[in-house]
Parts: sequence; C-alpha cells; structure tokens
Amino acid sequence: MSERFSRATGTSLVGGAESHTSRSLTAMLGTVAGMAAVLALFPLWLGDSRVLMGVAILGLAFASYAIGFNLIFGSTGQLFLCVGALAGVGGYSATILADRAGLPVLVSILAATLLAGVTGGLLSWIAVRRSLGVIFTGIVTLIFALSFENLLLGLSGVTGGDAGLQIGAGSGTFLREQIAPYYLMLALVVVFLIVHGLLRRSHVGWAFRALRDDEVAAELAGIDVARYRVYGALVGAAMLGMAGATYAFTAGRVSPTTFGFAQVDVVVIVMLAFGGIGTLLGPILGAVVFTAIDEVLIEFGQLRLLAYGVLIIVLFLWIRRGMIPTLRALIGRRGGPPNRRDTTAAHTPSTGPG
Amino acid sequence: MLEVAGLSAGYQGNDVVHELSFHVDEGETVMIIGSNGAGKTTLFRAICGLLPSSSGQVTFMGTDISALAAQRIVRLGIGFVPAERHLFPRMTVGEHLALGAYPHRPDPETMRVVLDLFPRLEERRRQVAGTMSGGEQQMLAVGRALMANPRLLVLDEPTTGLAPKLASEAYRALDVLRGQGLTILVAEQQVPLALAISDRGYVLENGVIGLDGTSEELAADPRVRAAYLGVT
Amino acid sequence: MTASILDGIVLGLQFGVLATGLTLVYGLGGVLNLAYGQMAVISAMVVLLAMDAGVPLLAAVGLGLLAGGLLGLLLDVTILRPVYRLQGEARVLLSLLLSLGVAFIVDGFLNWRFPLRGLSLRVGGEAVEILGVRMRTGSLVASGITLLVLAVLFYLFRFTRLGRAIRSVIENEEGARLVGIDPHHMLRIILVLSGVLAAIVAVTRSMVAPVNVRAGFSITVLALIVTVVGGLGSISGAFLAGLVLGIINSIASAYIGTFLSLIILLVAAALTILIRPAGLLGVRE
Repeated sequence: MSERFSRATGTSLVGGAESHTSRSLTAMLGTVAGMAAVLALFPLWLGDSRVLMGVAILGLAFASYAIGFNLIFGSTGQLFLCVGALAGVGGYSATILADRAGLPVLVSILAATLLAGVTGGLLSWIAVRRSLGVIFTGIVTLIFALSFENLLLGLSGVTGGDAGLQIGAGSGTFLREQIAPYYLMLALVVVFLIVHGLLRRSHVGWAFRALRDDEVAAELAGIDVARYRVYGALVGAAMLGMAGATYAFTAGRVSPTTFGFAQVDVVVIVMLAFGGIGTLLGPILGAVVFTAIDEVLIEFGQLRLLAYGVLIIVLFLWIRRGMIPTLRALIGRRGGPPNRRDTTAAHTPSTGPG
Repeated sequence: MLEVAGLSAGYQGNDVVHELSFHVDEGETVMIIGSNGAGKTTLFRAICGLLPSSSGQVTFMGTDISALAAQRIVRLGIGFVPAERHLFPRMTVGEHLALGAYPHRPDPETMRVVLDLFPRLEERRRQVAGTMSGGEQQMLAVGRALMANPRLLVLDEPTTGLAPKLASEAYRALDVLRGQGLTILVAEQQVPLALAISDRGYVLENGVIGLDGTSEELAADPRVRAAYLGVT
Repeated sequence: MTASILDGIVLGLQFGVLATGLTLVYGLGGVLNLAYGQMAVISAMVVLLAMDAGVPLLAAVGLGLLAGGLLGLLLDVTILRPVYRLQGEARVLLSLLLSLGVAFIVDGFLNWRFPLRGLSLRVGGEAVEILGVRMRTGSLVASGITLLVLAVLFYLFRFTRLGRAIRSVIENEEGARLVGIDPHHMLRIILVLSGVLAAIVAVTRSMVAPVNVRAGFSITVLALIVTVVGGLGSISGAFLAGLVLGIINSIASAYIGTFLSLIILLVAAALTILIRPAGLLGVRE
C-alpha cells in the first residue's frame, strides 16, 4: 500500500493536482483570449529592438515548451527530462528536411512535429511497458536527452556539430522579420493552450487526472493507463517538436545549445514549477516571468546559473504548487486548494465506467 | 514498566486504534489477542516508535517515549520483533547478532545465552539471512532483539507463517526467557499458544480493548472461547 | 588495443570509486545527489588554490578531501531535512531537484570565480612498460591509490562495526532502527564519505588528465551511469560496472570519438534500466 501511495505523491510533490475543469468552455476560451490579447501588445512596447523581440520570441517558444511539458508531466505524471531534446528533434529534422531535402517549410515543420510526437510516444510506451516509475522514467528520458545532444555533437557531418546549422530555408520570408514571427509563435501558444484546455475538459482529461492521482485505482476502474499515458506524451511531444521547428525557422539557425538540457529543460521545469504544474496558464506565467528574469540575469554570466540554483531550491521548498494555485488558495477561489483526489469537477464524462 | 494511556494511532489521518490504555508490569508476560485487522500491529508500531501516534501517551520505566523515534526507544531497553521481522537479507546470522547489540559492544555472555536458546542459529552463523527458512528467520529476529539485553521484549505475531511445530518451539523459547525474568508483551492470533505463557491479556477488536483479565479469566470467558479458541 | 584496455582499467577503477559514493547515498538514504560532480570539482579547485598559495602537495590534497567532505555535510544539514520527511519516490524526486539546485549554485559560483581553471597533478617518474604498453606514472599512481581506497572501503564495510551498521541501513532501514541505529546519522556519515570519495577521484583523475572547473555535470552523469548499471546501492556492482564501462569507453573513444562513445555508455545505462533495473549486482526491491 505504501508503494502505491508513494507513486501518487511523486507528482503531487510538485503540485500536480490542479484540475479546474469546473470552468465553462467559454470561460476557458475567454481566459486564453485575454491572455493572448495581453501578450499581443508586447511588440508595441518592445518592437523597436531586434534583440528584445528576439528574446520575446524565444520566450514564447519556451512558453510552448512549457505547455508541452505541462501536458506530459502535469497531466499524465510522466517525468520527461528530454523537453529540449524533443524540441531539438523537431528543430533539427525540420532544418535538415527543408535545407537538405528541399521540402517546403510548412511540410518540414509538420514532418518534424510528427517525428517528435512519435519519439515522445515511443519513449512513453517503453516506460509504460517496463513499468518504470517516475525516477527511472526521468533517468531514461534524461539519457535520451544526453544521447541526442551527443549525437548532434558527434555526427557533425550531418548536424554541424558544435557550431550547428545555418538555416537557408525561410530566409527572406516573414519568418525572419522582426515582429511577424512573434505573432506566429503566439498563435502556436494559443493553439497549444486551446488543445490542452480541450483535452483537460474531455474524457481524456478525466482519465489523465485519474491516472495521475492514483494509478492503481485508475487501472482498476478500467482506465487503460498505458494508452492515455502514451497519448499524452505523443501530443505533448508533438507540441514540443512543432515549437522547436517553428522557432528554428524564425531564428535562422540551430545548435546543440538551442535545445540542450541545461538550456531548455532546467528552465522549463523552473517556469512550470513557478507558474503551477497542471494549471492551464501556469506555463505562460512562468515563461513571461522567467524570460524577463533571464534577460536580467544574462548580464551576470555564470552567476546566472547560481541564481537558477537558488530559484529551484526556493521553488521546491516553499512555493511547491506554483504561483497560480498559491494565489488561488489565497484568494479563496471555488474549490479552494486542490485536493489530490479532485471531487469538485462539475464536468461528468459521458463515457467511461459507471 | 510499560504504561499506555489513551493511545490513538493510524495511517493518513485515520486512526486504527482508539484511545487504548493498558499496562505491563515488570516480570509479567502480557498478550494482546484479536483477529486480523484489529489493530495489533498498528498498536505495537506506535508504541515502539515506528509510527507516530495521534494522541495519548506511552511511558516506559518512567520515561515518556510517546514522541521518541524507534532507535531511541530501542536504546532505552525495549526489544521489538515486528511481524515482518525486518531482517537484513544479505547479512549473516553472526552479523545480525552483532548488530543486535549495536549501541554497546556485543557481549559474549549475551551471545552465548542467545545461541544456547537457539542452537540452530549457532549452526548457521555464517549463513545469510535471505536464504534461511521462515522458522529460522523468526529465531534470528528474536535473537537479534535479545542481543541488546532488553528489559521488555515486544513481539508482533511471532508465529506468522510458521509450521505448528516451529510455533510451539518459538513459544517454548519465550517461556524460557520468561522464566529468566524477561518482561514480554506479545500480540498473537494463535491464542492457545499465547495463553500458555501469559499472565494477563487484552482482547483488541476494531481498535479498542474489549476485554481484559488474567489468562485464567480470559480462557474461561465464553466470548473468548467462542471467537478465539474455537469452542462453541 | 591493449593500450586502450589498460587505459580502460585505469579509468574503470576511477569510475568504480566515483560510483560508490553515489550508490551508497542512494542505497542508504533513498536520496539522489545530483551535486556529486560538484563535490569533485570543488575539491579539485581547493587543491588548486592551495597549491597556488604555496601549500605543499600532500597538505593541499588533504584540504581538497576535507572540502569534499564538508560539502557533503552541508548538503545533509541544508537540504536533507525536508527531503527526509518524505518517503520513496517523493523523496528521490525532491532530493534530485534540491541537489540539482545546489549543483547549479556551486557550479555557477566556481565557474564565475575561477573560469577556465583546471587541476592537473604532475607525477614525476619514468614511464613504466606493462604488457608492452608504456604507462605514465600518473596513471599508475592513480590506479594504485584507487586500489588502496577500494581495499580500505572493503575493510570498512566487511569488518568494522560502523561498516556493518551502514550496511544494515542499506539492507533494511526499519530493521536498522530496531537495533538502535539512526539512519539519518548514518546518511550523514555516508554523505561526508561520498564527498571524500569524489575528492579522491578528482585528485587521482587529475594525475591522468586535467579536471576542469566545468566538469561537474559530466562527472555526475558518468557517476549516475555507472551506478545505474552496477545496481543502485551495491558497492561491488559499482566497481564491476565501473571496470566494464571504463574499458568499453576507452576502446570506443579510440575508434568512434568521445561523443559517440558516451552515447554507448548512456545506452548501456538505459538498457540496464529497461532490461534489468536492479543492475548487475543490485538488490531487487
């Protein structure tokens, strides 16, 4: 019994118990639209500086990454420490398809998305088949991430090694402009949020919550834990791949550090932990705050890493559940602090076991 | 020697035992009997510091041990043999016994006493615990607890998984220890065995003490006879 | 080929000691210390700075070992308290995250303060020929020290009261409590020991190749790989896996380069997790 208990606490440790499907569809869409409107205003403020717009675009890329990770970890409880690598699968394969194989940019992006999605789904399937717990899933995906990074470095003939690849495809189009790519990435973020939001409200989301909270009970209730985990990872990884590929074309180049563990995964984890794992807008809040913080920290060179270290410790010791749940609890929203077993869901699935 | 007052304990906020009070005097052998799920293991774990209690107090030889961790309680003189035994699978019998006396150096005299009590352990001194049979493991668990020269020996269902012959043998050993003056508190489902060596007993049902009395009284009680001695 | 194998053995012994530190901490406390590589690097930097300040070699090394041990103690005092309140997977996860934070703090600080520095201990003497291969004295001294450490560890765990107590906590934490052992106290000792072991690896490695201030995370990853393959919690597993992987790494590097040979090691760890999670000699939970 304690085994089961400790399996469930793995994600609730980091606050993965958010589930406010009690919000109506219009409310959710409204919130997303509101947030999109606010973000859409940023170029008015930053639009003059190419550097700052670049930072903002990267920030949106990270927001997408965070949404994908949120889906994989927050919703289905799989600790995938290969966020950067999956985005990299997207970014590099799109680049190679567009530049080497001459495929149109859009096709390259779609193919890259598919490839990343399949990779994520495969990793999840392996983890599920071998019943890997949270830790071993984390280690295996970390191994994947490190292997991917070393592969990029080792096969320099194909991947440009340390220096990476300059991307020819897409240059001269709106993709390389100063402001237009921002709205493209914002569109991606909005789409991802809506997809995530819809998933959460569907019977798929209900299954996600059940299996994340108590795997054994979910299994006994007839939920095919394996299938939903793989679905979650597939969709999440596809998001990561699409974001990585699209970002690559806006940036004009890819290199191992664009998608490295230290550069991406660590930051995404911090962003999401801050914003609130499992919440809808947590990734956005985290991305905005930490993109800003990071810009400031860049000045400090290596001390930036030190600052991140402090942030991680503070986050996981004190603001465990993330800002959004913490704020919610303070304001006393309907449902209060989320329980591990969510009984406040107003939405009852029409399908599923009785 | 051991005073339990109003002790409640359980898991994840749900109490399994409710406001239990009982005592064990020096030199006595006291049994706690009850069916599965009655709360015997929860009770013993709470007393011995492996489980936090939600309320109540446990006093051992005048010291309040309610909030102490297991390793501190053991050093005060309580030897606990849990139902799961908690042996060290890859360590030898000899190492177990040496570890039993951990807070002090292993005392050759005590070692001799334990080995005399369980000659089979002496034969298997170099054998690794994981490869031993259930009966031998039980002996080892008791022997390990005895190495610290405890004032009070607490055993949780020592006959679990033992063949009847071995179960009797185990209780014969306990009887010897009792004869040497050791205070014993034992939880047992196989009531006749426990009755044979106990002075007093408590009947635990659904987390509360339903009955108590001397062994003679309990043995004669019709409810006890019906529920635990198979007499209708 | 023989040269690669011999180099592999030298490297493998280092891997073994390195992994021992990590596997002990996990086996005993159920805690994953991702700041392990930084323990090695901090020790290397302390030795470097001490030597810069004119401190004689042996004393400098002593200071380095002390530094490693102290970082272990610091980890115990700071982040282990909240970690120990949890059990099982939650404990590993939190320890992973918090130690990662510490790793970042140490790494960031060291790289900021001592950028591009590295420890390199020159061991004098003629190269010795073994099996037709010229081995540098540095490699031989490093291996010798490592074997000595191995012997000391073996003696400690097999024959001393403390060693027995430590093993008992690894075998069964509750059982250890029942004989009066405080698992947290033992973990503290093990953390200090792991820091010292990391320091020893840093110092001996520096006799063969420079230990860079940026090497922290690579060291942790290597330690993790060997630990996983050897079996979490098994010292003999750590050494066996260390030797095997050291030799494989050495041979592979010679033929396909460092990046790709690291992939082989990573894949070996992944395969271990997928096929035999207990590792070569680990205990099945």
